[in-house]
Amino acid sequence: MICVLALIVFGVLGIFSATHRKLAAEAFDCVFRRMTFRKCTSNLDQRLKSQITGRMMRKNVKLARIVFRHFELLSWFFLIMFFSSMIYSGFIVYNYALYGNCYGPESDAFCPLAVFEGDALSEYDSSYTGPVVYPTADDDPSIGPEDAKVTIIEFGCLMCPYTREAEPVIKELLETYEGRIRFVYRDFPLSEKHAESDWHAEAANCANEQGRYWEFRDILFEVQESCKAAEDHTWELKVYAKELELDIEKFDDCMDSRKYKDEVINDFWDGVKAGVRGTPTFFINNRVITGPKPIRAFTKIIDEELEK
Amino acid sequence: MIDTEKIRKDFPVYDRDINGKPIIYMDSACVSMKPKQVIEAINRYYNEFPACGGRSIHKLGKQVDEEVLKTRKEVKGFFNAKSEKEIIFTKNTTESINLVANSFKFEKDDIMLTSDKEHNSNLLPWQVNDKVEHRIFKFGDIEDFKEKVKGVKMVSIVHTSNLDGTSNPVKEMIKIAHENNALVLLDAAQSAPHKEVDVRKLDVDFLACSGHKMLGPSGTGVLYGKLELLEELKPFLVGGDTVKETTYTEHEFEDIPERFEAGLQNYAGIIGLGEAIRYLKKIGLDNIHEHEVMLNKQITEGLKDVKGLKIIGPEEPDKRGGVFSFNIEGMNPHNIATMLNESSNIMIRSGAHCVHSWFNANKMNGSARVSLYVYNTKEECEEFVEQVKKIAEFV
Repeated sequence: MICVLALIVFGVLGIFSATHRKLAAEAFDCVFRRMTFRKCTSNLDQRLKSQITGRMMRKNVKLARIVFRHFELLSWFFLIMFFSSMIYSGFIVYNYALYGNCYGPESDAFCPLAVFEGDALSEYDSSYTGPVVYPTADDDPSIGPEDAKVTIIEFGCLMCPYTREAEPVIKELLETYEGRIRFVYRDFPLSEKHAESDWHAEAANCANEQGRYWEFRDILFEVQESCKAAEDHTWELKVYAKELELDIEKFDDCMDSRKYKDEVINDFWDGVKAGVRGTPTFFINNRVITGPKPIRAFTKIIDEELEK
Repeated sequence: MIDTEKIRKDFPVYDRDINGKPIIYMDSACVSMKPKQVIEAINRYYNEFPACGGRSIHKLGKQVDEEVLKTRKEVKGFFNAKSEKEIIFTKNTTESINLVANSFKFEKDDIMLTSDKEHNSNLLPWQVNDKVEHRIFKFGDIEDFKEKVKGVKMVSIVHTSNLDGTSNPVKEMIKIAHENNALVLLDAAQSAPHKEVDVRKLDVDFLACSGHKMLGPSGTGVLYGKLELLEELKPFLVGGDTVKETTYTEHEFEDIPERFEAGLQNYAGIIGLGEAIRYLKKIGLDNIHEHEVMLNKQITEGLKDVKGLKIIGPEEPDKRGGVFSFNIEGMNPHNIATMLNESSNIMIRSGAHCVHSWFNANKMNGSARVSLYVYNTKEECEEFVEQVKKIAEFV
């Protein structure tokens, strides 16, 4: 059975090396013969067996002896393991293609495939051990009808590049499902990772007071990369407010008094209780998506929820 | 006694290790390692006079001729031939045997006799020869030989078997063959590197051997033939330097041995072979034989009680020279060789050793074979014994 494994391994290595191509051909011949109930004449299985056990002899003779005696059995074991992992990998790829997540729509576990699309999330190391409390829309800024069948609650950080990366998808969703979904944004500023993020959250809330939340939020995403930590945390934000022609006096008062500090903290703790481990995290009728996933990951869940 | 420690200093291969372990080379029946004296001789040709011999009258060409002649004389002395003209340089033993098989003026239905334990190189040249009828006698069996040699034109026999290290009683066989008007070609590939082979004492008609098994370079071989018999041979490889004169229709062959050495020769190899022979003579063939037998005794003694281990050939190590051919019941010989190679860099041969016919006739898959030489040590044999003991327990 080692020949089957050898065929796969040498087949892959054979793409790059002529020596392994020859071994792959031998392994193929061996597998083909075994499949047609004939004896493997290349002796590849014997060679591999003695090479492996010979090398093991250098370290541990007892182990080498066990492997030599039960080589066929071990080959079967590894073959089954191999195919099991192949099937499991197939399951992961299927999930990723469908949900943008390796382990199904409900999982927020780390997905290695996500690395290929370059998406991830700004992680938050939570020490919260209490019960999970699903988030509500609270009184946070939202788009879409309040009685929409599907509510997407995003916990994001305005200084987080991944939150910004997810933005075009959210915009596209709001366009596609206009009137059928409600999008709520709640603050989860990761100030340890992204300096100034709590100030930005508060500023956006101050802009919300003047009914200009979403425009102000767009500006913050636009300037995210150039924002620097400053001694006067509000100066830059006040400039943006001026650009947006907000009532500056009102905005300055709001910022200087830190009117929305508690609101932002409240959002953050709601996120922690809901199990948020980083930004952005989306709750679509309490079904979780983490990181800036492709749109198909959202539409799949939204469509399912709309059909209910 | 041989001072192996001193000898091994002459072999650059022992300066290296593989995976942090020293090399234990025990496959000298296939190819021997090369001392630095041989390597330097080869390099000297390429560095100082890399010209062609036998043709050019310039200084470098003359130097090549002189060096080649020196080796021819060295080989003549090594085999105690009458004249250096009786020494023909070839690629290897195989080519030497093929030269006789294809040049000797056999007539239809002439009978050829070989033993049942011949290397493919001394089997196929006769098998494919349409003119001769091929007869086989039992290796080492003088009575069978006496019976089968009757009416035979030529006997072509292995002196020492590469399979198990045993030797045919060739002196007696040659005498019997001559009494029956048969000529004898001796395959000395495995005997010449390890013990004295005197062509005049043996009164052998032809002898073939390889340089690469006797510390010499690869691609070097020798055919010895009695001068009067060489005169009778019709060259089968012809071309450059085999003729004195040609017209569009006629040719006049060169003198012996040049007429059998067609085309530009492996001068570097030939010069290296001369150095190898000088090296062997310095150590002494009797000492080499004694050393190999001593090591073989050590191995035989060390492994005699190993369960399932079967020696091919006689139990007595002195009858097997430096060869220890064996099988472990329930284990493929290739497994044994691979495991020794992987675990301890012990390099031995496995398989049919080009004597498939004997293994097939004896319904065996092959064997694992140790072949010792002048550079092998007691410590190496000890390590080999230890490792084989471990492997035998795997079954």
